[in-house]
Amino acid sequence: MAGKGHAALWPGVAALAIATAYVVALLAAEKQSLIIILLAIGIVAVLAAAWFGLLENVSASFTDHEDSLAICAVAAACVVGAIFHDNHFVLLLVITVLLYSVATLGLNIQFGYAGVLNFAGASFFGIGAYTSAVLNTHTALPHLLVLLIGGVLAALAGSLLLLPVLRTRGHYAAVVTIAFALLFKTFLEVNDVLGGPQGMQVKGMRILGWSFNDNIDIGRVSLSFYMNYFVLSLLLLVATFVLVRRLERSWIGLNLDALRLDETAASCFGLDIVRWKITAFLIGNFFIGTAGALFGMVGGFVAPNNYTFADSLILVSILLLGGIGNPWGLLVATIIVVVVPEKLQTIQEYRFLLYALMVIAVLLFRPEGLLPRPVRRYFPGWRP
Amino acid sequence: MNALLEARGLSKHFGGVQALDGLDLLVAPNEILGLIGPNGSGKTTFFNVITGIYAADGGRITFDGSDVTNASARAIYQAGISRTFQRSRLSLPLSIFDNIMIGNHKRLNQGLWFNLVKRSDFKREFERSYADARALVEVFEPGLADRMFEPVAGLPMIDRRRIEICRALINAPKLLLLDEPSAGMTHDETAELMNDILLVRARNKDLTIIIVEHEMGVIERITDRCVVLNFGRKIAEGPYRAVAADAQVQEAYLGAA
Amino acid sequence: MDAGLFAQYVMNGLMLGMMYALVAVGFTLFFGVLDVIKFSHGDVLTVGAFTALATYIGLHTLGLNSNWLNLVVMLVLATLAMALLGMAIARYLVMPLRSAPALNTLLITLMLGTVLRECVRLFYPQGANPKPFPALLPRTSFDFGDFNLRVDNVLMLAAGVLVIVGIQYLLNRTKLGLAIRAVAQDEETARTMGINFTAIVLVTFALGSGLAAFAGVMNGLYYNEINFGIGLYLGVVGFAAAIIGGLGSIYGAILGGFLFAGLQTIGTVMLPFASAYKDVFAFAVVIAIMAWRPTGLIREKISERV
Repeated sequence: MAGKGHAALWPGVAALAIATAYVVALLAAEKQSLIIILLAIGIVAVLAAAWFGLLENVSASFTDHEDSLAICAVAAACVVGAIFHDNHFVLLLVITVLLYSVATLGLNIQFGYAGVLNFAGASFFGIGAYTSAVLNTHTALPHLLVLLIGGVLAALAGSLLLLPVLRTRGHYAAVVTIAFALLFKTFLEVNDVLGGPQGMQVKGMRILGWSFNDNIDIGRVSLSFYMNYFVLSLLLLVATFVLVRRLERSWIGLNLDALRLDETAASCFGLDIVRWKITAFLIGNFFIGTAGALFGMVGGFVAPNNYTFADSLILVSILLLGGIGNPWGLLVATIIVVVVPEKLQTIQEYRFLLYALMVIAVLLFRPEGLLPRPVRRYFPGWRP
Repeated sequence: MNALLEARGLSKHFGGVQALDGLDLLVAPNEILGLIGPNGSGKTTFFNVITGIYAADGGRITFDGSDVTNASARAIYQAGISRTFQRSRLSLPLSIFDNIMIGNHKRLNQGLWFNLVKRSDFKREFERSYADARALVEVFEPGLADRMFEPVAGLPMIDRRRIEICRALINAPKLLLLDEPSAGMTHDETAELMNDILLVRARNKDLTIIIVEHEMGVIERITDRCVVLNFGRKIAEGPYRAVAADAQVQEAYLGAA
Repeated sequence: MDAGLFAQYVMNGLMLGMMYALVAVGFTLFFGVLDVIKFSHGDVLTVGAFTALATYIGLHTLGLNSNWLNLVVMLVLATLAMALLGMAIARYLVMPLRSAPALNTLLITLMLGTVLRECVRLFYPQGANPKPFPALLPRTSFDFGDFNLRVDNVLMLAAGVLVIVGIQYLLNRTKLGLAIRAVAQDEETARTMGINFTAIVLVTFALGSGLAAFAGVMNGLYYNEINFGIGLYLGVVGFAAAIIGGLGSIYGAILGGFLFAGLQTIGTVMLPFASAYKDVFAFAVVIAIMAWRPTGLIREKISERV
């Protein structure tokens, strides 16, 4: 292992272990008072870690040992899955985190790397979900293929929407995507073919005869049927994460950064601005749509009310809270944004308001977000 | 002489302001041409029109035998023209290496498959590029060569200008446009910078340079020939000494006697 | 189509256009003065409308039932309140972010819009439901065949025109307007000329937000109903209108507003069975215009030193 980094591995492992234990505790807790105490402990712990500079050790550890730590993270996810193997509610929550992470990673390519504003993330997620609904109901296409088609349709819709305005300034893309987000919901509601305001049922996934909607019995252990989806979602997240990392750590990632930071200079050095913006947008939307397609099958039904502009803003909030451009920060932020309102039922109703306020605070006081994006290291641990 | 770059009757106006007014200008291969003139005489506009940032309103531009009058910025780069900017335009959050690699765009493999899947091939290209970038930076500031992955934001202005020049040089351009490279530097720093540029030019016989400067000491020392602009037109040309003694040039800078 | 129906469409189009134009002018003012896109503008309109409604309910409870008086009080209060809100937004959210990338301002105002919208939805009594807005203008109308000319619409149109003319006068004929235009064109020079930059920015935001309140009340009077989401929709339309007109140009904003209303009306006429698609049609045309003329029909004022 020539040239392995100077930073130690253990801070990263320790951080992962502690985080996993914390998440398990949070997921398992039922009483509201216990949850509030846990949250308070969490906030204090993070602030203390920041104060004592521990977060920097963890950061350095991740920078140099990212590949190993990523494997540990997958293992940690498996542990979480194993612990809650028969708990439908928790597994569904975990799956939601996994699939939202995929979607936000896609959004990150558009927003965080290429600087293309997309305020219709939830709508593209919805395109994927409705694709599942329609294709599963009306065709016999293999369900894995349906996932891909969901991604492709989301990508196509995105490019149709954005191509005309890619030559213009950023705020034009903002209007276009906001308008799309508003109109998409209305479009779904007036379309009885797509179920109207009530939405549509989505047939559960079947791969080669294995139904994802049946509980699994192994000997005396009974696993929730959500375990099927959990495994598939985790695989999807891992694949997306690897691809997104490689994308960032390549000349393409560099191109995207260059055009986000200074379009004029970038074109003076040969960058085809429109080509790379649209590429980033297509790839990002593909991930969003695929995640949406799978999520549709997980939930069993789709309705316009789940894919509103406010939901798109939630995705954007995750990105801003976690730290634009940093996939690890993104994962952390997704866990917070998805899990906390589900556990703290009292704040469910206020979650849009709360997240908007948090983002305002972040933008005013810590615009880099929770985990700021480090300088690009093409190969973790590589030394010249 | 066989011109590498030739502008004929080049015109550009912005609203009521005529920034370039029928400019005729020739640059010979391998020469270092100084482009001088009072503020607002059109020097940076000339660069911007050549590099395709602005479209000319009239006239022709020929580079290396081809007509590039309305070529895009990208096409100009592909043809072999590289530049620096008057106000330093580096991507501050990115590392030194990243910034230089932006200039290397045409020599890097931009395919999706190559970048995402063929990682060992990519690693080889990365390591080669690192070596090239490092060697170039060493010419200008050996101290920076070990800090290639530091963000540029933390560097002092003079180092940023050096990195910007490296960015313009990494792709081995035929023509290098330097827009006030010594702005904000002390005399010594400027002298050092010019030495380094000459060193690069000595190693790379194919390089032609147009340099816009306000520091006449620089112009006198390193340029073979000068062109003086005023109100978007050429008012004098020749070796620096001759041009500096020209009455019209003196009037342009100092006002009528 | 007969003349009466045509006239009806024209009237509706004018009313909508007026409202969009008022919102668009606000966007363009903010952009002109600070180069910022204030995405919370539409939601300020909502808050303005609800403020007016709350004022009305307050006045009504106090036993004051004169329509004209109530309307005036509502307008004044809503406008003043929103002007103050606008200034606060400028002072505490927009100006501190001046050195940050423009994206941050866009995001922060977008989030602020959400905060305003959610506050109305959550904290106004039954805010999630549409609320009836009192009909304070005379209800009389005249019939000309198919065309039902409502006096209140005419009054609102006239008021809108007056307001727009007033803004134009303010911008072009007064010292304050001169200062605003100076700051919009070149901040540094304006400062050196002795113009108090911060004060002008605050005044501009107050002006734009006051306009939003006026548009909100107008909206309520026109539809006889308001809900917490109207601002979001009007904001997007107003913004699109400002863009196609050319950000930074007041005429462009007005043009854009009426153009969008015109497109919606054409859409309604062309697709009588699916009125929801009128918006799709209008936005599709807007996107097409943006693709054709990226800087708007009247040039957007971008100045980037290369």
